[in-house]
This record gives sequence, C-alpha cells and structure tokens, in this order.
Amino acid sequence: MRQWRNWQTHQLEGLAVAIPWRFESSLPHQAFSNAFVISHLFFSLLLATAHFQRAPDVSYVPQAAVVTAMNQLDNQFGDEAAGRPRGAFGGILSSDHKSVGLRFLWLAQLSVVTGMALSLFMRVQLSRQAAGSLTAPSTSEGYAAITLLHGSLMVFFVLTAAPQCGFGFFLVPLQIGAREMAFPLLSGISFWMTAASLVGITVSAFLAPLAGSTLWLLGVVCFSGGMILAALNLSVTVLEQRARGMTLPRLPITVWAWFITAILSLLIFSVLTASSVLLFSDRLAGTHFFGVAAQSSVSVMSIWQRWFWFFAQAEVYVAMLPCFGIVTHLLSIYSRRPLWNERLAVLALCAAGLFGFCIWGEHMFASGLNPYTPLVFAMLASSLGAPSALLLICWFGTLWGGAIRLTTAMLFSLGFVSLFLSGGLSGIFLARRELAGGSTGDALVTGHFHLVMGVAATFAILAALFFWFPKMFGRRLNETLGKLHFWLTFAGVYLLFMSMHWLGLVDRASNVTSVAAIHGLRTFLTVVALATVAAQVLFFVNFFWSLLRGEPCHAKNPWRATTLEWSVASPPPGENFRGGVPVVFRGAYELGVPLAGEDFVPQHLAPEELAKLR
Amino acid sequence: MPGTSVLDDIELIIEDIGGGGKPPAGREGGDSGGGGRRVPGGSSARKYAIAIALGMVAILVFFMAMVAAFLVLRMKNPQWKGVPLPALLWFNTIVLLSSSGTLEAARKRLGATNERGFKNLWLLTTALGMTFVLGQILAWRQLVSAGVYGSVSQGAAFFYVFTVAHAVHLLGGICALLYVGCRKFGAATVTRVAAAEVTSYYWHFMDALWVFLLALLYLGK
Repeated sequence: MRQWRNWQTHQLEGLAVAIPWRFESSLPHQAFSNAFVISHLFFSLLLATAHFQRAPDVSYVPQAAVVTAMNQLDNQFGDEAAGRPRGAFGGILSSDHKSVGLRFLWLAQLSVVTGMALSLFMRVQLSRQAAGSLTAPSTSEGYAAITLLHGSLMVFFVLTAAPQCGFGFFLVPLQIGAREMAFPLLSGISFWMTAASLVGITVSAFLAPLAGSTLWLLGVVCFSGGMILAALNLSVTVLEQRARGMTLPRLPITVWAWFITAILSLLIFSVLTASSVLLFSDRLAGTHFFGVAAQSSVSVMSIWQRWFWFFAQAEVYVAMLPCFGIVTHLLSIYSRRPLWNERLAVLALCAAGLFGFCIWGEHMFASGLNPYTPLVFAMLASSLGAPSALLLICWFGTLWGGAIRLTTAMLFSLGFVSLFLSGGLSGIFLARRELAGGSTGDALVTGHFHLVMGVAATFAILAALFFWFPKMFGRRLNETLGKLHFWLTFAGVYLLFMSMHWLGLVDRASNVTSVAAIHGLRTFLTVVALATVAAQVLFFVNFFWSLLRGEPCHAKNPWRATTLEWSVASPPPGENFRGGVPVVFRGAYELGVPLAGEDFVPQHLAPEELAKLR
Repeated sequence: MPGTSVLDDIELIIEDIGGGGKPPAGREGGDSGGGGRRVPGGSSARKYAIAIALGMVAILVFFMAMVAAFLVLRMKNPQWKGVPLPALLWFNTIVLLSSSGTLEAARKRLGATNERGFKNLWLLTTALGMTFVLGQILAWRQLVSAGVYGSVSQGAAFFYVFTVAHAVHLLGGICALLYVGCRKFGAATVTRVAAAEVTSYYWHFMDALWVFLLALLYLGK
C-alpha cells in the first residue's frame, strides 16, 4: 500500500493521471483552450483547499517559549537581531547596492502603475471600435504612441529593471557573501541612466511623431547604456566578490540566473545600441541605412525588423531568466526539499538564454522573407520547448513529495508555473508559420506573450517581493490580503488572456462567427481588464500599509531558508555582514534535513557547529 | 577542494567532485582573492581586468553588429559605391600602431620602476592617441570638402559610422590614459602597474579594431 506524505501529494498524483487522460479524448481543436482553463481552475481550487489544512508551523520563528538550537545559533553571528526598519539604506544618491536595488524597484512600481493605466486606455479604445470592422483598431498616431509607451514601460522598466536590477542589485552581494558590488559607482550611474531614460520615453509619447520617436530612441539608447553598466557590475561581482567557500556550484540558483542574464544583457543591449546608432544616423544625418538608398535599386528587406527582433527575442529571456531563478528558489524553500537536479536547472537556464539568440525570424513570418527561412526558424523556435520543459520537470520534481507551505509567495510561484505552462503552450503553435503567418489574429500573439512574459514575470516579481519583504524592510506583508489579491489576479488574468487567445483564433477564421460576438468578446476583455487592474489596488494597499505600519519582523530568518542573506539582520546593516563575512560550507538547497528541531542546514553553518547540533 | 578562483570552480563542475569539503584554512573571510591570477596588486585589480574584458566583449558585439549589416548590404548591392580612403588614414594607422608600441615600452619602464621613463613614454602614448583623433577629424574634413557626405551613399555612411564610433571609443581610452598618467596611486587599492596593464588591454584592442575596420573599408570599397 503506497504511503503519501500528506493528502495533498496523494491528490497531485491523481491529477498526474487524470490530466493526460482528459486530453487524450478526441475533442475538436476549438475546445482545447476551454479544457485547459477548466482543468487549471480545478487544479487551483484543489490547491486552495490545501490551504485550509494547517501544516506544522515552522515557517515563522517560533514564539519565545519554543526556541530551537538553530535560533540560538542565529544570534551568534555577531549581528544585532533587532535592526530598526530603515527605508532607503542611505540617501537617494547613495551607491549602496541595497539602496540602488530598492530604487530600481520603486521605479518599476511607478512604471507598472502607469503601464496598467495605459493598458486600460488601450482596451477601452479597442472595444469602442466599430462593430463591423475586423481590421486593426484606431490607427491614429495617438493610439500608436500610447501602445508604444505601454510596451516600453512594461518591457523595459518593469520586466527588465525589476527582476534583474531591482532584486539582483539588492540580493546578489548578500547571497554571495560580499559587502558591496564590484563597482558601487556604476550601480548609481546605471540607476540614474535608467531613470533618465524613463523620463525621456514617457515624454516622447506626448510629442509630435517625428520628434517623439527620436526622443524615444534616445531614451532607449540611454537605457541600453544603463543596462550594460549594470550587467558589467553584476557579472564582475559574481565572478570576483564571492565569499570564501562560495564556489560556483554552491551559488543559489537565483544568483546563477542573475549572472546568466547579465551576460545576455551585455550582448543584446550592445546590438540594440548599434542598431539605434544607425537609426539615429538615418534620422538626423540623412543617411540611408534602413530606407531604400537613393543609388541602389536593391535593398535588404526588413533590415530594421531583423535587428530589432534579434535584440527583442533575446530580451524576453533577459526578462524571464531572473524570474525562473526566483521561482525555482522559492519552490524549493516552500516545499522544504532540495532542488531537483540543480545542475540541470542551471544548464536549462543557459540553454534558454542561448536559444533566444537564434529565433528572431520567428517574428517575421509575415514580413516577406525568403520562403525557406520558416523551415529553420520554426524548428529553432519550437526547440525552445526543450529547456522550458526541463525547467518544468525540475519544478515539479522539487514539489513532488514536499511539505508544501502555501504562503502568498508560494502561491505566486505556483501561479507562475501555471501561467508559464499554459501561455507557453500557445507558443508552440505560434512557432509554426502557418498559424503565425496570418491565419490568426494579433490577439493570439498578444494573449500568448502577456501570459508568459507579462503576467508570469509579474507573478515572479510579486513572489520575490512577498518573500524578501521582511529582509528588505523589517516588516511583514499581510498574508490574508496577499492571498486574496493572488486569487483575484490569477482568475482575472486567465479570464482575460485566455479569452484573448480565443479572440485571436476566431478573428480571422474564414467561417467567422458573428461580428457582434467578436464585439461582445472585445467588450468582455475590457471589463475583465478593468476588474483585474482594480484588484491590484489590494496589493498596493497591502504594500504601503505594511511598509508604514506593518507588523515588524526582526527575525533574521523568518522563512527558515538556507542562503546567506538570511544570516543578517532584517533589514541588513550598511556593510551587510557586520561580524565578518561568513564562510560557506555547502550548497544552497540543504532542505528537508532534520537538524536541531528544524529541517534545513544553512550554507554558512560550520562543520563544528553542525556536529554540535546533531 | 573548493577553491576561490574561477578556474578551480570550472574544474569542480567538470570533474563532479561533489561539493562539500573544507575551505582553505588560515585566511580571514571576506575577500575572494585567490591564487593563480596574473594581475598583480590584489583581487581588486583582477576585477578591473575582468570588467575590461567584458567591456571589450560588449564593444566588439556593438561593432560586429554594424559590420554584419555592412557585409550584407555590400554583398546585396551591385551598385555599391565605396569611399576612396584618404591617404591620411594610413598615416593615422601608423600613429596608432606606434602608440601601442610606446605603451608597452612605458609599461616595461614601470615594471623596472623607472618612474621618469614611464611618465615620458606614457605621455608620448597619450599624445600619439590624440594625434590619431585629430588626424581622423582632418580626414573627415577632407572627405566632406570633396563632397562625400554620409547621405551620399551607404558606403560613405558606413565609413563615417565606423570611423566616428571608433574615434569616440578611443577618446574613452585617452581619458583612461590620462587618468593612469596623472593620478597619485599612493593610497589606492589598485597599483599603477595593474591599472596600466588593464588600460593596455583596452588600448591594444582599440588598435586591433581599427586595423580590422580599415581593412574592411579598404577591401569593401
């Protein structure tokens, strides 16, 4: 008779049998997305019921009466346990990496609020489009400017700045045992270049088209410069500033992800800068790199598109890799199990980054390329499924048999897995030229990338925020409000973007469903978008209230995690490790190991101390 | 055996030793330092060397993106009109190559703690670098006065973009030369020897890049 650790694991195993069975039935193609939504809702409801069963409470530092030997050891590392919660770790011009990281996060928060407002504006415009027209909506330049601004803000300042620069700058030195980044001056410079580019790009949306797009380009170049400097800083820090004993195999997977992303950013932002320089030259100096040159009757088709997509496809991996790292890390910690095949996960991260350089043509199926190019690009784009599948296997392998603790951070991490899986599946179809080349509407692509990139990455950012909030601010975010926010957002984004997939499928179908139905669908999308954005108010209330009046959490290691940042006070002192930088003795995922009344072994616990605790 | 240099870690990954083990005893925590580095002056010097290596990779990718566009457009266009290279460019090349030579001579003097010799040769290198940039400006003016603007043809446009981009990066190198030449290194965390070595990497890279670009423009016209 098989034994399961708990009834949740028993249920998960049942689902692993039930879901494939469901899909093996021969349902027509159109029912695909319905079945997916339903089974996902079912799965999520199941997890929700799991929440109501309280597992043994070792997630927070036990109350005074029950102090484990591990807690006593926590206080021996020369750090005061009660740091007063501080805001900025120094002034706004400080080059302390924690201050810079937080500044990037504030910048990202400002951008996400603006971006969401813009998206609502776009949705209202789209649903007000005349019921009879199936072509692209309002083609006014104003609408195009708003779309460009929404995209730029979200992709550059939220998806690139927050996971990589925001959390990366704050956590990399702490997790590798360094006092500071390799080049503190560069940290500050990269932030201010990013801030300047935010101002430039935002202003550009309000200028006349020619001046506006030149200013936008200038903003992008400024952003690229900032990102190149940040990437340089992060890479050198990871290579050179590690504490004694922190070998590369012992790095937490979050640091691996930030490091790989830094190398990628270095490469792709150089390419973007090169193409922007040429475009600037065309706009300001009268050259003809991209237009048809006066003297030549032959020009290379879509050259700007090729360059832009070479950058942009790799850019989505720059946005996603830190999120993969964060989610993998959190899944391990909240299921109290070591990562399943850690080295494979790191290799999958590298592969995802590498593949991203090879598939720019997948965005150009409708641009009139050589008809044989889709053979290559479709194959390469589909092969991206390989590292993604490896990561999914790693995540499920980590969760399997774990004592899953459904805190808000864990819910967001699981939500990420769900969104990445379902959004990624539509990517398999989009990688094929027949679908992407014109037989489906734009809404299918929009739905796909919003699920995988927009919302999934946002869930990862939120998970990271809930997880590291005690460390950053010495307070705790409200879990109830957080969970409510999660469920509303989870339901909302699925309703919104899965319906968008559907819209994309029927939009250009030859036996088109009634025009009124499509109009109705568009209106539905707008209503859901409004509701989902409204639900985000819960998060902002939670965030600001907790920041100002939240329950103080001065425990060094409330989540009982193993990495080095949990060995310092919350929030960390200026020089990070007050009593001396710790020495590292083991990898980052020694979880589920019974020791001194707890179930983890911190990275910095010396063998002598370990022997004493056993 | 967990080492603290990157090379040891690569061995660890390849040989699958399996992690764990004691870190080397007898050194205080904090610095990752590490034996086996070639740059003298401590681990902070090594981080500058790595930083400049990564910077050179980024700059190389920047130029190679433009070179790729140049090659594709050149091959596809049967009526390509290249730019006749002014003779001044060959003189500038010699100036730049000799500046690399004087740079190495200066570093040798520094290694032999010949302070005065180092200063003189370093100054000479900086002067040669500035001469190169001035020479480039003169060459551009020659071409402009002959009516070859960037807007005339793609060949001309690429010529200007390549040479201007290179000159801008070289100016950065000149700033580095001035910094190393003028700064007092007494209490610095990096020695002058290390700083000079890191600067030399960048300068020789700029040199080699120029030779490559010149060859490309010459053969591609």
